[in-house]
Amino acid sequence: MKKFWKLAATAATASLLVAACGSSSDSASDTTVASSDTTASGDGFTLANFTPLEGGTVVDCAPKSGPIKAAWIYVGPINDGGWTQAHHEGLKAVEAALGDKVETTYKENIPEGPQVGTTIDQLVADGNTIIFGTSFGFQDAFAAAADKYPNVCFEFETGYIIKNNMSQAYGAGEDGDYLAGMAAGAATKNGKIGFVAPFAIPEVIRGVNAFALGAKSMNPKATVKVVWTNTWFDPAIERKAADSLISAGVDTIASAQDSPATGEAAKVKGIPWVGYDSDQSANFPDIWLTANTYHWGDYETARVQAALDGKWISGDYYGGLNDGFIKLATFGKIVSEDTKAKIETKKAELSAKSGSQFTGPIKAQDGTVKIEAGKTASHADLMGMDYLVDNVIGELPKG
Amino acid sequence: MSGNIAVKMSGIVKKFPGVVANDGVEFEAKVGEVHALLGENGAGKSTLSNVLTGLYRPDEGSIELHGEHVTFSSPRDALNAGIGMVHQHFRLVPSFTVAENIVLGEDDGGVFLNTADVVARVEELSLRYGLAVDPRARVWQLSVGEQQRVEILKVLYRGAKVLILDEPTAVLTPQEADVLFTTLRAMVAEGRTIIFISHKLDEVMAVSDRVTVLRGGKTVGTIDTAGSSTRELARLMVGRDVVFDRVQRKNPAKPEQHVLVTVGLCANDDRDNKALNDVSLSVGAGEIVGVAGVSGNGQRELAEVLGGMRATSAGSFHVGGVEVTAGRVRRSIAAGIAHVPEDRLHTGLAASHSVEDNLVLKSYRNNPISIRSILNRKAIRSNAETMVQRYDVKTPDTETPVRLLSGGNVQKVLLAREFSAGPKVLVAASPTRGLDVGAIETVRERLVAAADDGVGILLISEDLEELMSLSDRILVMYEGRIVGNLSTQEATRESLGLLMGGATVGGHTA
Amino acid sequence: MKSPLRLERRLTQPRALGWQVPLVSIGGALLLGAVVLLLTGKNPIDVYWRIIQSGFASKTALRGTLVAATPLAFTGMCAAATFRIGIINIGGEGQFFVGAIGAAFVGIAMDGAPTSVILLSMILMGALMGSAYAALVGVLKAKFNTNEIITSLMLNYIAGILLDYLIFGSKSYLRDPRSMGFPTGKPLPKGSWWPTYNIGSAVIPFGFLLAIVIGASILFMYKRTRFGFEASVIADSPAAARYSGMRTRAKIISVMAISGALAGIGGATDVGNFRHVMDAKGLQLAGYGYTGIVVAALARFNPFSAVFVAIIIGGLTNAGYALQGPDFQSGLVGTLQGLILFTAVAGEVLMRYRIRVRNNEKNVAVAS
Repeated sequence: MKKFWKLAATAATASLLVAACGSSSDSASDTTVASSDTTASGDGFTLANFTPLEGGTVVDCAPKSGPIKAAWIYVGPINDGGWTQAHHEGLKAVEAALGDKVETTYKENIPEGPQVGTTIDQLVADGNTIIFGTSFGFQDAFAAAADKYPNVCFEFETGYIIKNNMSQAYGAGEDGDYLAGMAAGAATKNGKIGFVAPFAIPEVIRGVNAFALGAKSMNPKATVKVVWTNTWFDPAIERKAADSLISAGVDTIASAQDSPATGEAAKVKGIPWVGYDSDQSANFPDIWLTANTYHWGDYETARVQAALDGKWISGDYYGGLNDGFIKLATFGKIVSEDTKAKIETKKAELSAKSGSQFTGPIKAQDGTVKIEAGKTASHADLMGMDYLVDNVIGELPKG
Repeated sequence: MSGNIAVKMSGIVKKFPGVVANDGVEFEAKVGEVHALLGENGAGKSTLSNVLTGLYRPDEGSIELHGEHVTFSSPRDALNAGIGMVHQHFRLVPSFTVAENIVLGEDDGGVFLNTADVVARVEELSLRYGLAVDPRARVWQLSVGEQQRVEILKVLYRGAKVLILDEPTAVLTPQEADVLFTTLRAMVAEGRTIIFISHKLDEVMAVSDRVTVLRGGKTVGTIDTAGSSTRELARLMVGRDVVFDRVQRKNPAKPEQHVLVTVGLCANDDRDNKALNDVSLSVGAGEIVGVAGVSGNGQRELAEVLGGMRATSAGSFHVGGVEVTAGRVRRSIAAGIAHVPEDRLHTGLAASHSVEDNLVLKSYRNNPISIRSILNRKAIRSNAETMVQRYDVKTPDTETPVRLLSGGNVQKVLLAREFSAGPKVLVAASPTRGLDVGAIETVRERLVAAADDGVGILLISEDLEELMSLSDRILVMYEGRIVGNLSTQEATRESLGLLMGGATVGGHTA
Repeated sequence: MKSPLRLERRLTQPRALGWQVPLVSIGGALLLGAVVLLLTGKNPIDVYWRIIQSGFASKTALRGTLVAATPLAFTGMCAAATFRIGIINIGGEGQFFVGAIGAAFVGIAMDGAPTSVILLSMILMGALMGSAYAALVGVLKAKFNTNEIITSLMLNYIAGILLDYLIFGSKSYLRDPRSMGFPTGKPLPKGSWWPTYNIGSAVIPFGFLLAIVIGASILFMYKRTRFGFEASVIADSPAAARYSGMRTRAKIISVMAISGALAGIGGATDVGNFRHVMDAKGLQLAGYGYTGIVVAALARFNPFSAVFVAIIIGGLTNAGYALQGPDFQSGLVGTLQGLILFTAVAGEVLMRYRIRVRNNEKNVAVAS
């Protein structure tokens, strides 16, 4: 019975809040005028690895009273053991950091497509003023919503469209991938490493290349055989891809997928596994090497705090090892002390200079030199990477 | 305690929505007798046997087995109590052996079959009752008669004391039927009870000790067979006198004026085995040509070829002197061939479709039933109303699905449609099978009337009485060939039976 | 151990059951749902009120519902169409995909033509692609008697692979050359977007109106034309159809083609009216084809009713998204939706069977 009344009370409060929000949107134009006075001079929001939008203005998505309502939209289930779970950890970190100053909510399993727009509409109608989108396929819907709701702050993780009220965030996954590749390179005996990868897109290609370079640094003969699954999250397909690699003779395997299906496959054969974006050391103690993991909590907390303070400004965040956005998961017990030490040394180096692992000479599969000796890839080079390095076995889609 | 009463059913009432199938039925069968259960279709025979075998629960009434009240909630209960049923349609697995089929569905058989043990017991049973069949043979290798024996053995194997046989002779040759009757006598001699469901008066007279007649869900009476006659049984069954004598024709047949001629027809069956082998025959205007034969000797394929449903591999057929393209239903229809198929409910009609839809099943392509590919519901309805009236179809309305009609009315719908097209030839396969006496009479009258109007009729039937009373001439088919062409005077049960069994009788060709 | 209840087939279906059973089904669903909700500490009345609010009542909800319902209406009609001839087409999914591919191609290639011309071409192309893809199943069924359930299902996977290939596996015409990082489909030019109408306070997509018109036409076709009559006879008894001179094989192929065309138009609608891009990943995640089978079953394979059942399912889906969140796991939403579908199917069973109480006496002879 108690719960009933609690629910009824919540419902009543919610309806009040909706009404309050309705009135706030009436005064929307005032807010815009007021905020246009505030320029992106940086007197407000600053954060490491964050580049404010040039010419961007502060968007006031602070609540009129009470806690700020923040919402996350996920493409997968919150316990997928991968991408969505990592973002959900972010939500929890925001809650933990901001306490009763924030009221969070989330929608999981939202399919990419028309549903996203509807879901945003509902969340805005429920009074959420800062909304996190966590799947690339949501981007168009977010961009459209950003135009439709200029006083709502949209946080996109990850894509490329930046608007005055829509910012982008991602991080130097390639640095973590390189370190994970070192662990794999040390683990392989026959030099054949398998990689279950989602899509042949620059972001992933970059990760695969970094991984392969890391492996090579530990074992000059190491090759990385890659299989594209064309899905972020589909345990059945991931499992099939992993099995096919294992039967092709790899003795160490990595995945960049949202589910631990590759680990399941590796467990059967007892071969070392590098996971992705989730610490699975407890579930796979005998085969676990490490994983590149993303930690959204600090960034998201800073952004919600900025919104709360009325200092939210759009921009582009590219986190790294230096600010704890990228971390390596716990090492498994099969990783030797020597390997750990080597990885730690390299970690310090990459932390100081993100992307330095792409220092020439770096050759593509066909032998052409892509990065000349002594030169380091620029940020733009990394963002547009469209070749596989010479110790990767696998193909990119042809035109 | 009435020691010699095996089964006593009193005041059995079983209702279905809108129908009282059994309305206070009384039935009593003694130990060691063959007791026939006689009645028209819809009289309540099947319902009563389903109540006795536990398939239905009666709404009222009681069942006593050897003096004790029993209630069954499933056929298994009934079987455990010693009541077994041999269905008209066999329930055997073709790829299994006889012995495997017999133990199939046994509760306490365990996981493994003790085959040797089963084989021995089956052999013992088949020897005892003259049910010759090899327990190791696979069912698909057996003839229909042998399969029936397997069904009977199955029931005996489970220790049934009371056996119900549902129209067991429908699939047998007269000779095979005689063998079955001997078996039945052997079983009752051992103190078992046989309940023999039939609507064939002759065989009831031949095999049973007593007869219980049902009509309209009620018991009309139980009489000793000895001292009764087919005529009396027919009267009890129908409620009035029925005459099945040689029919008098208004207009004589003109056998020389051929409406249908086939020349050397050959065709394969569904399994691609040769089913028709060089069949040449002719049917004259107004002539009724009977085709006798044990089921499965090419009669069905012959009807299907003429109806355009089956392609030929050689030969041709002609209506009114014009060759009809084989394998095209619409060509056959256009040529004036009407076809009453054996499976009237699922081939001749679309069972779940209404009476009115079924009445236009072949004419829906024609004006005014459809105009420029749009159906004309009004025309369909008025066509149905005319037909229902003209053919005296008993149906609540023209929208009733035909599957809800009684067998006789189903056949009336089919005949109404086929005759309404004004055919030159009618191919009728077992048109009265499974119908009750009243309906049989109607169907026969319709056939004769059509012949009087000059329609040539090819009447395929396994009912020799029917063939002999209606036909002008009888052909006999055996293994896809026509092996006999007998005038009505020459045709007797014996001569036909011999030809049907493959014996040659000197000198006859088609 | 025997269950004390057993099902007995009904000989006839009383007309009144037509409305009694659905009513009892819905009541049963709400009741069962209430038990689940109470067990998880939620107030059922509150939850149901939220479902109605967020699925159907509010203006934005209704718009979202129609958006969700439109593709389901088409795939529902697709499944219903073949059932009328006794064939089960599981391939609505794949036929939807190829329809989307065809329509996207036309929508992009015809840039600059008048919108009405583009719109018509997209519909035709979607229909053509879907019907050709489905006809393949029909031909295999008619000529080689292959199981259409298996072939149509297989073709779904192939269509999915084709989508992936076009966007992720190759630099095809449909792939956006400007897509940064993640490959996406080429967006449709604004001139190829299908209209959306504001009627009163409602926002109605053109595709939805199209679904209503097509649904009515298909129903008319099945109820009142020679073609429909033949289809229904084939479904009832293929032997009777052959016997009366119907060309069953040709009919099977045509019905499959029509069914595929419906799903294909659905795909065109998805591209033209909603996504404005051939979204390889989104299409596969949506599972419209499979949900369409549920829609068709609930609509009792009436293509016109399928449109309205699609609204209900679309609304439930939408309400589901609105409902779920931190205090309401998406699993619970799925459970509720499943219960509603389950009782609806159970209701179907009750239409055909009745429940009898088996009395508990022992197997054989019990003296009384």
